Amino acid sequence: MFTLTGIALLVTMVLALIRAIKGPTVYDRILASNAVGTKTVLMIAVLGFIVGEPDLYIDIALMYALIGFIGTVAVLKVSEFGDLGQAQSPRDGDKS
Amino acid sequence: MLIETINIVLLGMLALTALAAVRLHDLFAVTIMFGIYSLLAAVVFVVLDAVDVAFTEAAVGVGISTVLMLATIGLVGRHEQRPVHRPLLPLLVVAVTGAALVYGTLDMPFFADPAAPVHQHVVPYYLGKSPEQTGIPNVVTSILASYRGYDTLGELAVIFTAGVGVLALLGLRRRKRPSKEHPTP
Amino acid sequence: MNLALNLASDALLVIGALFTLVGGIGLLRLPDVFTRLHGAGITDTLGAGAILLGLALAAGWSLLLGKLLLLLAILALLNPSASHALARAARHGIRRPWLDNPKI
Repeated sequence: MFTLTGIALLVTMVLALIRAIKGPTVYDRILASNAVGTKTVLMIAVLGFIVGEPDLYIDIALMYALIGFIGTVAVLKVSEFGDLGQAQSPRDGDKS
Repeated sequence: MLIETINIVLLGMLALTALAAVRLHDLFAVTIMFGIYSLLAAVVFVVLDAVDVAFTEAAVGVGISTVLMLATIGLVGRHEQRPVHRPLLPLLVVAVTGAALVYGTLDMPFFADPAAPVHQHVVPYYLGKSPEQTGIPNVVTSILASYRGYDTLGELAVIFTAGVGVLALLGLRRRKRPSKEHPTP
Repeated sequence: MNLALNLASDALLVIGALFTLVGGIGLLRLPDVFTRLHGAGITDTLGAGAILLGLALAAGWSLLLGKLLLLLAILALLNPSASHALARAARHGIRRPWLDNPKI
């Protein structure tokens, strides 16, 4: 059953990757990237059970869950404000 | 069998992501594709049983490098310049170098061959003595943190200096005033 | 008892795999960002929750169980936050969801 779940996760990663490559707007790509991140966390946890060393793999999954969120929030901040909070001269409203 | 299939699918996805990142011209989208690339590479490392490399990839690839590239985009703008030179000569140089490197790998011993010279020199010593000398269960960790501890300390100092330099260049400071065109609700 | 646990774990894993696949197809097929968020939301909450609960039932009573539940709590907290931030940023950037389109 772990194998089936792993294959389903892999197929979903492929689907999300296709969306990230096609994605007309930048938000589609961010959404797909976030989905790939979640699938990566689950995939690593399931892989731990497939291989038989879940204790080792679950730590990596935890770390990815935390760091992926930081990446997503940084990307969204740039997409909304145009930078990460640097003090700058007035910007020319660079919207996508 | 299953692991090999997962490996092949993941490597194919890695190649697709890299090609998409090369073909895109919006640098912000390229940064996102690099994030996806790094996540996929991490799964490849986990499948290959290189847990410590997967940890490093998590911290560096997904976390730090994405944030640094985004900060750079905030400084330089998100659209790629048109290249001024034709790419043919650099492409030729890269192709010739790559072909020479691939030709060089033909002389290497077979992958994971136990009779290879690299597995004869100090590897049996480390593998045999590492548990009682250091008390660390993972051999890679014991080599990095104990046998080559000073090397690792030096690397950390270099990386820390580089990080401080990058932060000084990017100039991350607090936003002075909230921008007027997007009032936060 | 053990058989019941195994059956429940397998059932949860199959449910999670199904919902993950459905969410992935939705992510690919739906027309714009705001509708695609629904697809991604399915995989992030129900799919991830069912899969992690199934793994937790298979893990038995150990530290691993605690780590799996911690992972579940982190995902349940962070993914809706990320979806919300994404919807807000897209609302600023695109300004017109597909459902507002007068052509439909």
